[in-house]
Amino acid sequence: MMDIRIAPQMSVMDKLKILADAAKYDVSCSSSGSSRKNDGTGLGNTVAAGLCHSFGADGRCISLLKILFTNECIYDCRYCINRHSNDVPRASFTPDEVCELTMEFYRRNYIEGLFLSSGILYSPSYTMELICETVYKLRTVHRFQGYIHVKAIPGADPLLIQRAGYLADRMSVNLEMATAEGLREMAPNKHRQTILKPMRQIQNSIAENKNELTLYKHAPRFCEAGQSTQMVVGALPESDYQVMSVAESLYDKFSLKRVYYSAFVNVNENKQLPSASAGPPLLREHRLYQADWLLRFYGFKVDELLTEERPNFNMNIDPKADWAVHHLEVFPVEINRAEYRLLLRIPGIGVKSARRIIAARRFGNLTFEDLKKMGVVLKRALYFITCNGRMMYSTRIEKDYIVRNLTYQNQMGRGEKLPFLMDGTPYRQMSLFDAVPEDFRFCSTVQKAQ
Amino acid sequence: MMEEKYIICEDSLEGIFTAIYDAYALREEHGHLHVQVGEEENYRLFAVYLHSQPDIDKTNKVIRTLKDRLGDHVYGAVCRAAASSARDKGDAVYHTVVDGITAGHGRRTMENLCDPYVNRTFQLARYTANEVHRELEFIRFQELEQGILYSRIGPENHVMPFIMPHFADRLAPENFMIHDENRGVFGVHPAHKEWYLVSGIEEGTGEIQEKARYSDQEQKYQEMFTLFHKTIAIRERYNRRLQQQMLPLRFQDYMVEFLQK
Ligand code: SF4
Repeated sequence: MMDIRIAPQMSVMDKLKILADAAKYDVSCSSSGSSRKNDGTGLGNTVAAGLCHSFGADGRCISLLKILFTNECIYDCRYCINRHSNDVPRASFTPDEVCELTMEFYRRNYIEGLFLSSGILYSPSYTMELICETVYKLRTVHRFQGYIHVKAIPGADPLLIQRAGYLADRMSVNLEMATAEGLREMAPNKHRQTILKPMRQIQNSIAENKNELTLYKHAPRFCEAGQSTQMVVGALPESDYQVMSVAESLYDKFSLKRVYYSAFVNVNENKQLPSASAGPPLLREHRLYQADWLLRFYGFKVDELLTEERPNFNMNIDPKADWAVHHLEVFPVEINRAEYRLLLRIPGIGVKSARRIIAARRFGNLTFEDLKKMGVVLKRALYFITCNGRMMYSTRIEKDYIVRNLTYQNQMGRGEKLPFLMDGTPYRQMSLFDAVPEDFRFCSTVQKAQ
Repeated sequence: MMEEKYIICEDSLEGIFTAIYDAYALREEHGHLHVQVGEEENYRLFAVYLHSQPDIDKTNKVIRTLKDRLGDHVYGAVCRAAASSARDKGDAVYHTVVDGITAGHGRRTMENLCDPYVNRTFQLARYTANEVHRELEFIRFQELEQGILYSRIGPENHVMPFIMPHFADRLAPENFMIHDENRGVFGVHPAHKEWYLVSGIEEGTGEIQEKARYSDQEQKYQEMFTLFHKTIAIRERYNRRLQQQMLPLRFQDYMVEFLQK
């Protein structure tokens, strides 16, 4: 057993600094998926869409008090700052400290709730028990009714994971690496199977709970907001095709609510891994989120976007535009007649604007001016649509020409070319947020797949 | 040629709804009637100006009719548009109601985006909704001496009626108060009771602020959150532009994590 190196009088402030810092690489941030009214006995409720309470200097959303319970860890994952062999300051909260911080932050509207993860203290079960105890106190002693996201620690006693699931809105187990070999290489103490086991358990419990709830309306809820996971990308040479295929099967076979992608940051300055000086592969991460969005809301399959022969996304244009220029035979599409599924495939048209088009064209034929008012990004869409049989300008419908124009639009900004920084105001983002009934704020990971 | 008639009304939901009632009462062609909030600045020659005084009975009749004939969705959009700060909102809302009731689009009215008035109402409602959403996220409460939570906001639109229900539910056991500095409106919630709005006490505002003293704990939590806020960002990903795009400066001015030094 390891000894615990905790300075006895460490203040909560000092602990917070260490344990927030240690938690920041977990990218999941959403507080969505649960909808709960306050029952009058305590503080809090949840909003289906989730809320972001602030944005950090990196532009990522701050929704939950994201902390580790402890950054002590018996494991030695190569990508992790908290790995056992690293010499970093260590700290552990007590359950009461976590409760107090959560309650006081929450009532000031700093946060939507708690995100509690942890390094492995002594053993997975020991750690999971601490997490359970903390969340139990928060729910019962403090009657906290806001959002709670907790990690399921792989290898912990299934009963503890079960207990946590009845207290939390969302649980997550991180897949860490897209491939089992990658995981073996990067996290020698972890195994694909040990990770998938609690994931399966949570999936099954959610399904059973759904049945219970149809029978007894007041049955306790198990992970109402479902489960999520994350993969680190860019540490190993896995392809986008591999990453997205894994994501697709997690959605299909494990019923995950969200898969997060985390651009690798070489915190340990490991010489064998991509160097920190190059910066994390943010544009690639961005493409993965865009594609993820296409899978979940636009009816795309991974095989339509990537193939063995073309295993990586085009860095110049987004995956949807990329698909479109490879399928020019489908276009131009007549806005006043095309069915919803086809509208969704047009670059520059999102879920919300597609719905508006369907609704509005019942009142009369739409013009380009109308489309603009509905939030269609015409400078992207114009290559792919007609209104009343006419294109907006007489433009060439030719792959290279269109790619050149779309790329140029993306490059109007500086630095990392994240398209959502370039075109349109924050309100464009907001109207995209509206597009998705649940889980709609992804914060810095919100990608405009239009 | 028919003359244009402008019905001038108070800038409030009551004012606008009463004006709509009065417009209908004229039994004239809607195309020549306009509802205008506040004062008309550029008097037009050959236009007739009528003044409408807010009236609670007329307002309630309009509310009932709108809910009945147009449904909650359209009604909600109309209310949000009426809470907007845009000067042309009166006319947009009035003619949207005409489109819904007189042209008979009913519950589908908000889908008729080709109609310029409906489109404008839709747009204004969206601006208000977006600001409401952001205030729900970005409001910061500070704890005063007796444990009362107090927040200042400076919204462009009259968001208070839309944000109070959220916090009244969420913070049910708390006494709290939200102060819209731009309008001199207070949203007040006594613990476990109904919330209400107070306005027109512009005089006393300074006094409230002067007397308000923070609780002993307040500074500590502000510092802790500021620390958390700073720590949670990943240095390798710093992107102030993105931060500002997601969280415009006019909100940052009210948020403790951006004010603490
Ligand atoms: S288990 Fe691995 S990833 Fe998790 S804290 Fe320990 S070293 Fe880091």
